[in-house]
Amino acid sequence: MKKIVEVLKEQKNGLVFGNRVLLPFQAELLKIVIDSEIITNFGKRLKGAHVRVTDYYTEIYFLDYKILVDEIPKYKSIKMVLVQQGEDVFDFNKHINLEIEFLGKHQISIKKIGDNILFYE
Amino acid sequence: MRKLFLILFAFTILLSSTLLLAQEHGVDVHAGAKVEQVEAETSHQLPDTFMVIPFIVLLAMIATGPIMYQHFWEHHYPKIALFLGAITASYYLLVLQDTHSLLHTAAEYFSFIALLASLFYASGGIMIKVDKKATPLLNVIILFFGAVIANVIGTTGASMLLIRPFIKVNEKRIKPYLVVFFIFLVSNIGGALTPIGDPPLFLGFLKGIDFFWFIEHIWYIWLPTVTLLLIIFYFFDIGNKAGEDDTEYSGKIEFKGKKNLIYLAIILIAVFIDPNVMSWVPNLSPFPIGIREIIQFSVVLFAIKTSDESILKYNEFDVEPIREVAFLFIGIFATMIPALQLISHEANVMGDSLTPGLFFWSTGSLSGVLDNAPTYLNFLSAALGKFGLDLNNPADVKEFVNMDYIYLQAISVAAVFFGAMTYIGNGPNFMVKSIVESAGIRMPSFFSYIIKYSLPILVPVFILVWLVFYY
Repeated sequence: MKKIVEVLKEQKNGLVFGNRVLLPFQAELLKIVIDSEIITNFGKRLKGAHVRVTDYYTEIYFLDYKILVDEIPKYKSIKMVLVQQGEDVFDFNKHINLEIEFLGKHQISIKKIGDNILFYE
Repeated sequence: MRKLFLILFAFTILLSSTLLLAQEHGVDVHAGAKVEQVEAETSHQLPDTFMVIPFIVLLAMIATGPIMYQHFWEHHYPKIALFLGAITASYYLLVLQDTHSLLHTAAEYFSFIALLASLFYASGGIMIKVDKKATPLLNVIILFFGAVIANVIGTTGASMLLIRPFIKVNEKRIKPYLVVFFIFLVSNIGGALTPIGDPPLFLGFLKGIDFFWFIEHIWYIWLPTVTLLLIIFYFFDIGNKAGEDDTEYSGKIEFKGKKNLIYLAIILIAVFIDPNVMSWVPNLSPFPIGIREIIQFSVVLFAIKTSDESILKYNEFDVEPIREVAFLFIGIFATMIPALQLISHEANVMGDSLTPGLFFWSTGSLSGVLDNAPTYLNFLSAALGKFGLDLNNPADVKEFVNMDYIYLQAISVAAVFFGAMTYIGNGPNFMVKSIVESAGIRMPSFFSYIIKYSLPILVPVFILVWLVFYY
């Protein structure tokens, strides 16, 4: 299984199917911003987002959406704060800010959030 | 989506058939209607009181939808607005057989949406980056600048243009109060000086109020109010010591999207290209749009085609806010017709009991919780009705303006100022909240905004305004 830094370096893409996003690494999610919704509670299974980490990927179900590709505006991305699974979640230096953009019907790009995007942890 | 197009198609058919009917009766529907048209309008019978229900339902849903049933509302508001609008339109067409009111309203709607959409698209393609250390004084300067330019590019344009640089400058010390004061000053109160500033005033302009009337009669209320709020803000801001470090700043202000500035200039010039302002401008009646609207809609198309993609990405440009305004205001403009006529009639009956202070507080308190644009027109209609005048008659509006400015001033000030009371008081408020939350910053809830900020800060300021000018 690749680490987040390796995925970013290799510019490996993730997947999206309906309201399900698959990221090719194992991560602890701390915060997600989708459109103008800020999700920090991943314990609920009815609202916000549900996260599951398998041996091969991390999947996020956005419970308030049906088809993300259709519902997220063209110039908006999904932003998140996460930590590589197994690393010290309490160390802020290990926190990584990522943005996800839709490349087509099922592909998503995964990039570090740059200076040009407003995002606060 | 297909259903939506069908509904829009039906709306177009309805409008076209109304146009044909009007042509048969020789009606001039262009904005700034002519006297003969007005005489015909005023001679129409009053609508049934029950016909106010679609308007009340729509306003109630606009107020509660985004808070109480957000996802249902997000998916269905276009259908709801069009359906409620169609009820009123059908009533006027089939029961009252009054095509004049409908066409006049359609013309006003197109003028309204052409201005808002063009400002929205043009300002969406502009990027400002400020690399300076945030200080209370710099923040005061940005907020004052925002309040001033809100009168040139609208509160929506100014909010879109400045909220990101404002957050970015304060990134290490960002707190909700910064955004709240931005909403107070840039998204609302700032835009009280021109019809471009805030949608209610533009509706007043479309009804026949002179463009420069607002700055002439409101600046001496605007300036002390803005100054007082900036002083209060300054004292809030000097207490914010977060993020003080040794980071070095270049002091540069970067500006991109110059061609969109040209678009903004074209939009502003187009506001005056009206047959009532310039005699050489052709009147395109019976079509409900004029040269002004054609120019402004063309700017929308140019801005869509030519705006820099990287700037749109930086601004996280989203068409949803203007789409929402476009659909909701079809419903608002249509359902509002009977309300305006009935209120005007009732005010005529109530006469002397309606004081400027009463207009100030009633326009204000409703503008805070309902959309301020329709609220403004309703109270303007009532103020004219008090003197037996009709809002749909530009000659009556001119007579009213010259008769006693204090009523119009109280309504205009209250509609714009009180729009800041809640997130739903004015269009840009929710947009700013949404942009800030997209950046991961939590904003106060609907009620928390009112309890923590509007009631303790705005209400005392508004009481002062009332005591000095309308008591």
